Order: sequence, then structure tokens, then C-alpha cells
Amino acid sequence: MSKLQLAKRALPSKEGTLFKDVLTLYETRQLKKGLKTADQILKKFPEHGETMCMKGLILVHMGRREEGMDLVKKGVRLDLTSHICWHVFGLIQKGEKNYEEALKSYMQALRFDKENMNILRDAASLQSQLRLYDGLVETRHTLARCRPVLRANWIALSVAYHLNGNLEEAKKVLEHYEDSLKNVPDYDVEHSETTMYHVKVLEDIGDYAEALAFLDVNSKSRVIVDKTGVMETRARLLSKLKSDEAEHAWRVLIDHNPDCTDYYNGYLTSQNISSDDAALLVLKEISSQIPRANAPRRLALAYSSGDQFRELAKEYLTSALVKGVPSLFADIKSLYENQARLESIQSILEQLLAEHTPASSSPTEPTTYLWILYFQAQHFSHLSQYDKALEVLERAITHTPTLPELYTCKGRVLKRAGDPYGAARALEEARRLDGQDRFLNTKCAKYHLRAGLINEAYHFFGLFTKKDAASPSADLEDMQSLLYLIEDADAQRRLGKLNLALKKYAVINKVFDEIEDDQYDFHGYSMRKFTVNIYLNLLTWEDNLRSHPVYVKAALSASQIFVALHDDPSIVKRFTSSEPLTSAEKKAQKKAKKAAHKKEEDKKPAAPTSTNEDKGLEIPNADDDPDGLKLLGCSDPLERAAKFLHPLTTLASKNIDVWIAVYDVAIRRKKYLQAVRALAHARELDADYPELHVRLAHLRKTVTSLPQVPPAPIGEVFTSTVSALLPDEVTLETFNSQYLQRHSSSPLAIFAAARVLKTLDGPLEEVDNTIFSTLGPDVKLTLKSARTMLDYLVQLGSLRVEEYRTSCDQRFPLATVFKTAEEQASLMKETVEMPIASPKDEVEI
Amino acid sequence: MSTVATLSRVSFASLTPNNLGTVRKLNSVIFPIKYSEKFYQDILNPELEDFCKLVYYNDVPVGTICCRFETQGDQTNLYLMTMGVLAPYRSRTLGSQSLDLILATASTHKSKINKIYLHVQVSNESAKKFYERHGFQEVGVHANYYKKIAPHDAWVLEKAF
Repeated sequence: MSKLQLAKRALPSKEGTLFKDVLTLYETRQLKKGLKTADQILKKFPEHGETMCMKGLILVHMGRREEGMDLVKKGVRLDLTSHICWHVFGLIQKGEKNYEEALKSYMQALRFDKENMNILRDAASLQSQLRLYDGLVETRHTLARCRPVLRANWIALSVAYHLNGNLEEAKKVLEHYEDSLKNVPDYDVEHSETTMYHVKVLEDIGDYAEALAFLDVNSKSRVIVDKTGVMETRARLLSKLKSDEAEHAWRVLIDHNPDCTDYYNGYLTSQNISSDDAALLVLKEISSQIPRANAPRRLALAYSSGDQFRELAKEYLTSALVKGVPSLFADIKSLYENQARLESIQSILEQLLAEHTPASSSPTEPTTYLWILYFQAQHFSHLSQYDKALEVLERAITHTPTLPELYTCKGRVLKRAGDPYGAARALEEARRLDGQDRFLNTKCAKYHLRAGLINEAYHFFGLFTKKDAASPSADLEDMQSLLYLIEDADAQRRLGKLNLALKKYAVINKVFDEIEDDQYDFHGYSMRKFTVNIYLNLLTWEDNLRSHPVYVKAALSASQIFVALHDDPSIVKRFTSSEPLTSAEKKAQKKAKKAAHKKEEDKKPAAPTSTNEDKGLEIPNADDDPDGLKLLGCSDPLERAAKFLHPLTTLASKNIDVWIAVYDVAIRRKKYLQAVRALAHARELDADYPELHVRLAHLRKTVTSLPQVPPAPIGEVFTSTVSALLPDEVTLETFNSQYLQRHSSSPLAIFAAARVLKTLDGPLEEVDNTIFSTLGPDVKLTLKSARTMLDYLVQLGSLRVEEYRTSCDQRFPLATVFKTAEEQASLMKETVEMPIASPKDEVEI
Repeated sequence: MSTVATLSRVSFASLTPNNLGTVRKLNSVIFPIKYSEKFYQDILNPELEDFCKLVYYNDVPVGTICCRFETQGDQTNLYLMTMGVLAPYRSRTLGSQSLDLILATASTHKSKINKIYLHVQVSNESAKKFYERHGFQEVGVHANYYKKIAPHDAWVLEKAF
């Protein structure tokens, strides 16, 4: 540091004390005083970088964010070698969740104060958050060296080595640490957790014997508190060692918790049980010893077959139906993958019905009969036999009209059969039976969203959300209700309100960002509390976070909308009214603005009294795009889509739709190599996938229209991948007709062929005919595919839309989605206006 | 493997705005009469909590019983407005258990209930016998009590406390 810089930074004693005061006042959050003191220093030394930074920091805390930021930046520029300045800058960036930049600032700060504990700790957290484990090891090393007394520093160092893949060093650190411990009390939780972590390290290294020995020594010597953890780890290690004692270890676990299926699986694998019969014997034996356990009885069903299955299944079903277990079908349905078992259960059901029907001779419980009917309805629904399911449900509802489950089942059947309005009505009937059941409420609201009745859905949500929230939607967004967000987004999309749909998809993205950010505090906290194993689980979980089905759905839907916006920018114009407002509308707008302004002002008087209030460093949530129009009209839709999709290429790589979406975005961004690689991935997953077929045609068209081959180095790889996907000699026409021939019974494949035909400028009539062939007897037309094709015909402007619509309507008699717009509108009205009571009727009392 | 012995559980619950929908559903199925909105608001009155109940069988709602107070000068009487159980659940003493519950509560009630009475359609012999088994007596016939259903007459059955 030059003398000049030192001179600029050093303050005379009076100001020096004042500066120390500023630091203390900031730490104790006495912001007003801190501000005044800082100003005092700046009056005399207006170019003192460190004070400027502190002042800026205080301003941010007080909510004057822009001012504060400017000041901090100025301060840093004025004093580039001050660790305080960089530290403050890093703090601000961390508050903005800009972790990469924050780490850079912290690293700078460390250059000028290598052993500052605060900076080191924050840097370690940032490195953990960003998964920069090399740096983390160094930082933790420094921390341990500077403060060896603090035990957490050693554990943190060990964990850092572990995360960085250096298990041997991790182990060494732990061993040194344990040697240094004195007077550890018995059953000390922190030491117990540390020991369990040490066992895990040994296990990860692969030294199962050593891990086991270490575990046993410590569990016997009153060190380890987590008894279940010890038992589970023992069993796992013994299994890995293929020891004879493994069986006993798993058995101990089963006795400890007879309903955990993991223990049974562990037990059976440890025994090298290969045949189902042997497994069955084992399960029977355990069942007889622990009669109340459900797990062995249920597992036995998966291992048995034929007559034995019938016997066991009948018994399992009977006891559950007598007890009245609503979730029985959900429990059993995984067995249906096996056709023989399915038929067994079907005949058992009929038997049970015969035995328990009220008309039969022996006295029966009416509730048992009821639950059998309920199970049977779900059974038929699962087999897509919707007529039968509804018939059974009607019988059940006549028997006992007060059981909500019957109506939710009816709703689900109608939904599957293509009648969203009937489904919503059924769910509303269910909801009315029990107003304090939030499950019924949420399901009812969700079904209304599916029926396009968005306001009604909000009304239902509002019955349970916080009364002082801005709206039910706002509260549910706050609570990060992914269920609500994805359903609302999809509903808006179905209604064509792309702006609102996009907005909600963006909110979903934000929720996942928040969940990712939430782990930040744990990097430090878990070390302080020594809860290492669960912390490592957290890191793994966070790494896989975006494989969540809601994220996948949201990313795919949003990217589809972004691609559509790119392809047709005129869509945005539909949403912004270009006509000048009438004078009445103008007045209304003005009034609304005034009212909103007044609301702001009413809030303000409360603010001045709390300028001392610490608003923290985080950016407050301000919704500046309530209608999603800004987002809809954004200038970089493809880049946003790419960002949204990016995590899925690693976390959802087996999902073929992800690769199709990646292609769609990449090809439009002219990232040719990425595009063809995506299609290659898709092809590996399913070469006959209809959407892939359409994209291959798109690719061929794009390639032929390219002015030149992409330059090296990608050129070669690009052309060879393209040829592998679709050989150059094959014309698109041939390719398409061959595909159509190969998949003449798959409606979606036919649909894909029709679309390709359109891009080949085939005559409209031929496209129509291709789609109409899906109505043929050999084609397995499903409700979903029929709807997609109807929408396409509408979009195409085909003259045969009505014909297709009526054919589908006849083919799917229970569905209402093929009714005309007027019919559907009146169905919606009927659903909204469900009567509760008819007060004008005869009153006897 | 032993089968679980079935012990049918009978329980009662007070009426709230949240389970009112269930009461409506039961009434619409069990009784030939439609009750007014006022009826449904009145049975939520906290003073009547002990005398308006939902009846559950194995945790499924299957019946209701609803009364109201009537003052005759300085006497308080209890009027039984509705009592019914879904068809598949009858003949299992649910009706008796509900009635006994009401009678027991009424006999020790703070406002000194004088008597309990109700109307039974004259075609409903079995209902009349049911109440007589519980100590009710016929005290007369109310002609044309029912306007919309036939026969229009109703017995008046009473039990004093």
C-alpha cells in the first residue's frame, strides 16, 4: 500500500473514534445515529472511502437503496485497497442474491485482510452456495488455522474436503480433531453427530469394516445419541460387507419400526432371497410375530401370485374395507401392473359385493358395503370404464349421500371422461358437505380452474387464505403453493391469457430460486450445530431441486409460449388495447389511479416514525408488472426460455419433451449444434416420438434454407449429426409417408404426419383427410389427442371442423369438451349457479 | 390371520356452519319436505346446541335430530322438528340412541323443560310405535298439518318430563 493511500485512509484520532462509533452503531442497528456520525466524518473528509461505504450501507438498511448503492460504489472506487470497502460491497451484493459478484468482492476484501473472521465466514458460505469447493477448502483451512479453538472450524474443514471429493483428507482432519478432544460428556449431541459423520466418511471411502468397527465402539461407549441412526447404519454396513449378522441387524430394525418398507427390502436383500416364495415365507413369519404391522402384509401381495395371491389379497382387502380405509385403492393400484393380479382383484371385489350386499342373508355392515362400492368405482375408473364407474358411484351415493369421497371420485371420473364442468359440480357438492376440510376446498378450487372458472376458483381459495392478504392468489403465492400456481398458469393459458399464464410460470421459477437461496444460512448454521449428515443430504437435495415435476411443467409450458411469441410477435398486440379510451373509461382509470395513490399516502404517515427500522439488505418485492404484459412483450423471449430450460438438461434428461423444447429454442437462437444434439438425445429416448418426427422435418427445412454450412469446428459435427438423424437421400415426403404407414394406429403419430404435410405445403384437403383418418376404427383415439387435433383444425381454418367436432362428441358420450362454444358456456353457467336450497318451497315448520 | 372384530362406532356432533351442508343433504334425502333457509339458520343457534345433532355411524354422517324451544305462557316446551337416519342404517338403534340423548339432556336442562312433542304423519305407524316405545303418547290429531304431501293429517305425540 502506498503511503498516499495510507494517508488518505487514516483518520485523526477524533474522526478515528467517530468511525469506530459508526461501525458499532451499524452493528447495533442504530441507523439514524450511525448516519449522523458518518456525515460528521464526511464533512471534514468528504473523500474518505470507508466512511462513504458505511454510510451507503446504512442507507440501504434504511430503505434508501439507490442512494446507498451509489455511495458504496463511490466509496469503493475512492479506496480500492480497503478491506472494509470491499466487505461492504460484498454484503450489498449478497443481499441482492448476486452470489458470484459478492464472492469476488469478498475475495478482494480478503486480499487486504487475510485473517478477518467475518469475511472468511461469509466467503465460506458463498463458496458453499456456489459449489466452489476448491476455494471452500482454502477458506475453511484459513479459518481453522486462525481459530483452532473453535471446534466447528475443524468439522467445517473436514466437510469441505469431503465435498471437494478428498475423502482421505476429510478423514485425517476428523481423526486429528478427535484426538484433540478432552472431557467430552456422555451422550453429547454435537459429538454424537460428529461421530456419525465420521462413520459416513469411512463408509464413503469404502472401508466398511473400519466404519462398522468405529460405529460399534462409539455406540457402546455412550457417545452416539441417535439410536435409530446407529441401527440403520449398522444394518446397511453389514449388508455391504455381506456379513451373516446383517439379517439380525435388519430384523432388529423391523422390530423397532414394523411399518417401514425399507427395512423389509434390506432384510430380503441381505438374505439373498431370490425366489418370491422364499420372500413370502419370510414375510408370513414376520406377520405372525407382529400381527398389527401393515407393511409385511402389503409386501406379501407383491410377492405372491395365483391362488395364494387371491387368498392374501382377499384377506387384506376385507380387513381394510371393514375398517373403512379410504386410501385402499391408492395402496393397491400399483399391483394392477400385473394383469393376472388385476383380474384376481376384480373377481374378489365381485365376491365381496355379493357377500356384503344388504339384500344378502347374513347381517352386514352398511359401511363395509359402501367402501366396497367406492373401491370398485375407483377400480373401473382406473380401467377407463367410466360408465361402469359412474353407475357404481350412483348406487353408492343413493346408499350414503353424505360421504365426500364419493363425490370426489365422481369428479375425478368425469374429469377423465372429458367433462370438466360436471367434475367441478361434483367437487362443489363434496366441498359443501364439510366446510372446514381444506383438502376438499383445494380440490374444488382446482377443478374449477380446470373448467376455466377462474374467479369462482379464487373465491373458494379465499375461504381458507389469510384474510389480510391482498388477494387469495397473493397469499398462495406467498405460501409458495406450487399446486395452485401451476394450475392457475395452465388455466390462464387454456383461456388464451398468455400474459397472465407467463407471469405465473415466472412466479414458479421465482419460488424455486427462493428455495435454492434458502440453503444459504445452513452453510454456517449446520457447522455451528454439527448436524453434518443431514446438511450433506440438503446439498444433494438442493442440487436436484429443479427435477421437480412442477418446475418441468412450468419450464416446458413457458418455453412454448416464448417460442410462439418469437414466431409471431403480433400476439403481444392482441393484449395491449390500441384503441383510444373513451372518456368514460379515461375517467374510470383516473379514479382508480387516485384511489391507489391515496392508499399509498395513507400508508406513508406510518413510515416516518420508523425510519430507524432496519429493512435489511434484501431487495423488497415490488410487483411492477401486475398484468404480465411487460413480460409478454419482453425483448428476449428465447433467452429467457433457454434459461428456464437449462437445468432440465441435466436433471430431467430422460424426459423427451425437455429435449424437444430445447431444440425449439436452440434452433431459433441459431445454436445449431445445441439443437441437433437435443434431437439426438430425443432420438435415443424414443426414435418414433411424434413430436420428434415434426422437429426432424423442421430441421431438414431449416438446413436446406441455411445460406451456408455452419463454420468449423461445429460444421462437421453438425452435418454428420443431421445425417444420422435424417439421411440426406430421403426426401421429406417419403420420410413422412413412411412414418405414417408405420404408425397408422397411433393418433398422435398421424397428427405429426399431418403437421409435416402442412409444412410441405400439402393441399389443405389432404391434411384434413389425414387428421380425419384418426376417427377410423383401427386408430386408438384418446380424448386428449382428439382435443389437440380439433384445436389444430380450428387453427388451420379447416372447413370440416364441425364434422370432426361432432364425430368426437359422439365417440366420447360422457365428454363435454367437444360441445359447441354456446353449449359449453351454458354448462359453465350451470356450474357457477349451483343452487344450495330452494327457500321458496313448501315450508312445513 | 385373525380378522378385526367390528365394533360399530356411534357418535354425535354439534351443528356448525361447516357441517350444515351435510345436514341439508341428509334432510333432502330422508324427508319428503323441503325446509326453509330460516330452518337452517335457526338450528345453528348456540342455545340449541344440545338439541340439534348430527349422528355418525363408523365415522360416516347418517342421521340428524333437530329440536327447537317453544314457550307456552310460562312453560318451555321442546319441539322435535326432524329426526331421521339414512335407510341402510336403520334398525340399528341409531334412532333410539339419538332420542335418548335428547331426552336425557332435556330432563336435566336449566330452563326446566315441561314436555317434548312432535308431529307424525298418520300413515307412519312404525314411527308412532317407535315414539310410544320411548314413552310418548298420542294427545290428538292435527288435521291438514301437511299441505303438500298426503295424507295431510298428523298425530301429535307428547312426553312430559
